[in-house]
Amino acid sequence: MDLNLLQALERERVLEVLRRDKQLRIIEEDRIRRMKYELQELRRRGAKSYSRQYGERTCARCQRPLGKFWNSGAVCRGCSHRICSRCRVGVGTADWKCTVCHAYREVKIRSGEWFLEEKARKFPVTTDKYETVGEKLLKTCNVLSHISVVPPTPPPHLDHQFLSRSGDLKNTKPFTKSVEDLMVSFTSHIKKISTSQNDVRGDLLKVDNGRKGSRFIYSTQKSLSDTDISKASHLFKVPSLPNLFKKNKDSDQEGSSTGAEEETSFSSEYSGGKRGSNSSISTEYGFFDIVSIAGELELALAYNTRTSCLEITVGGCRNLAYGDAKKRKCHPYVKLYVLPEKSGKMKTAVKRNTTDPVYNELLKYQIERHLLFGKRLQASVWHSGTLRRKVFLGEILIPLDGWRFENEASQCFNWYPLCPKAESPDGGAMEQDRGELPVKRSSISQGELLRLSSLKCLQEKEMHLTVCQIR
Amino acid sequence: MTDGDYDYLIKLLALGDSGVGKTTFLYRYTDNKFNPKFITTVGIDFREKRVVYTASNPNGTTTGKTFKVHLQLWDTAGQERFRSLTTAFFRDAMGFLLMFDLTSQQSFLNVRNWMSQLQANAYCENPDIVLVGNKADLADQREVQEKQAKELADKYGIPYFETSAATGAEVDKAVITLLDLVMKRMEQCVDKPPAEPANGNGATKLGEAQPNEKKFFVRGPSSQLFSVKTTAAFIHEASPVTVMQVILQ
Repeated sequence: MDLNLLQALERERVLEVLRRDKQLRIIEEDRIRRMKYELQELRRRGAKSYSRQYGERTCARCQRPLGKFWNSGAVCRGCSHRICSRCRVGVGTADWKCTVCHAYREVKIRSGEWFLEEKARKFPVTTDKYETVGEKLLKTCNVLSHISVVPPTPPPHLDHQFLSRSGDLKNTKPFTKSVEDLMVSFTSHIKKISTSQNDVRGDLLKVDNGRKGSRFIYSTQKSLSDTDISKASHLFKVPSLPNLFKKNKDSDQEGSSTGAEEETSFSSEYSGGKRGSNSSISTEYGFFDIVSIAGELELALAYNTRTSCLEITVGGCRNLAYGDAKKRKCHPYVKLYVLPEKSGKMKTAVKRNTTDPVYNELLKYQIERHLLFGKRLQASVWHSGTLRRKVFLGEILIPLDGWRFENEASQCFNWYPLCPKAESPDGGAMEQDRGELPVKRSSISQGELLRLSSLKCLQEKEMHLTVCQIR
Repeated sequence: MTDGDYDYLIKLLALGDSGVGKTTFLYRYTDNKFNPKFITTVGIDFREKRVVYTASNPNGTTTGKTFKVHLQLWDTAGQERFRSLTTAFFRDAMGFLLMFDLTSQQSFLNVRNWMSQLQANAYCENPDIVLVGNKADLADQREVQEKQAKELADKYGIPYFETSAATGAEVDKAVITLLDLVMKRMEQCVDKPPAEPANGNGATKLGEAQPNEKKFFVRGPSSQLFSVKTTAAFIHEASPVTVMQVILQ
């Protein structure tokens, strides 16, 4: 279904409605985030803090000792912890749950999580993110409108003709020959671009419209390697709620106090606060939401007409997820690209050991004002780990056309919530082998192999795999 | 009025033939006003209203707990040419006001079609629906008898209301009834036992038996045996892309 079938005015009307819907959605997402934050707070209070002997004999919520015969507590069916009679909340008439499980249930209802789960039952989610139809439509329409307002670019072969003409004059080579020459210079450009990333910017600035092809190829290659990184990082990160419980147990035993552990598990739980992240509460559908994303990024955008520069000031981030959840370490830096070409790579310095880095760095990208049409700014936050391992911490995408650079307010700093990686058009379809598992199919012959595209353990008891082929 | 100070966001959607009064019905509900002019809805629209919902026990007694509910009421175009757009929005709604015009037999006959559209496009096979016969004030032009409509509603097992956007009769009641159904459904959805019992006692609900579901066993790294259950898509002999969930046995 698309809006092209409608007349222009009608389309505008519908888009207006969708924009209003978006406003509402933003408020809703904010509300859900707050709610999950509160849930996390409750979890933390309920968690065991210091007693190492976390045995059967204390209530898992209030830590009051339980008697052997009298007030001996009972096991909550939600979390399997032993709970005293005071920390129970009746659900319905006969059944009860512990305070945390109850709050968890409430959040599931109030956030609309139940609905997403039901919907996913009938319409399996294919992306890592729940999107409403309105959301999707609005997105596709924005893309379409970009296309329609792209300023006329000189036809690519205009260049060739110039070149060939001059070539004709000097060398009297046939036209085709000069095109060949051009191809040679194309490929050399591509090579240059792919060999050294740092040169990319300069190169691309030289590359003119006529060589759009080379840019395009470059961008494909680049985004592939980026998805590689994020794919790899999937393996380390395990968000999703079942884990929350497990983590909680861990911190019970560790004992300690800082609550930082919980902070992490929380952040993975509310990963990005986007629709998709809701799924992380759920056990059944959680596995679509792989990267743990949390926190916000502060940016200010301005366009300097004097120097024809897009000036991006990276203020800082807050509440980032730990890049290395195990060691609770995070050395974040911010990387900028201008999409769709993925040109103008810019990076901030790496700030060490913080989830709330402050950069205050001004990054400039030279581009003619009118060329901003159809472009988007991609700002991603990465953890720079040991051995140059990079972990994706979230990204934001800001459309640059239609950005009101004259508007004072839009030049100020703004906090943007970080989102999981947007499905990149070329990286999305890529599946990778992660290994093979010997599989026995009960009904059919033995010894078949599953080729796995991704595999991760959610709990000790559960493993989620994506299977791309069965032999 | 759109701030985040509410407990639930409930999305309802009105559907039915063109001209049955979906827009005026919603306008009456949200603003308590009546606009007799017929302005055809372009594609899709929505209105909002904040209501206070009082929770009740299964036995009907109120618990006294009140919640702030933010209603997003989607209004769809009844015209055929918007059909593909409007039906796409069905899947994001939690409850449906299926409307027909009491003064138009044809609009009533089309209820059946709308029902099948809902089954195909709504978030589940049996979503919460309220059947609404509108324009009850135009008694002299009435073409659909209450008995007829009631029978149909009973057949589908859904409530039926005869409303009038002009007078406001039963409008609130119809929406609140639907809201109530949705609120109850939320609880059920959350409290029902998880869909895949780990011990495989076959407690899948009737009608949910997935014909595509096959059991697999996967040998893990330390050669424990896992049973594998398909949770999405399908598994066909030597065929692709399936998402599976493995449960340790």
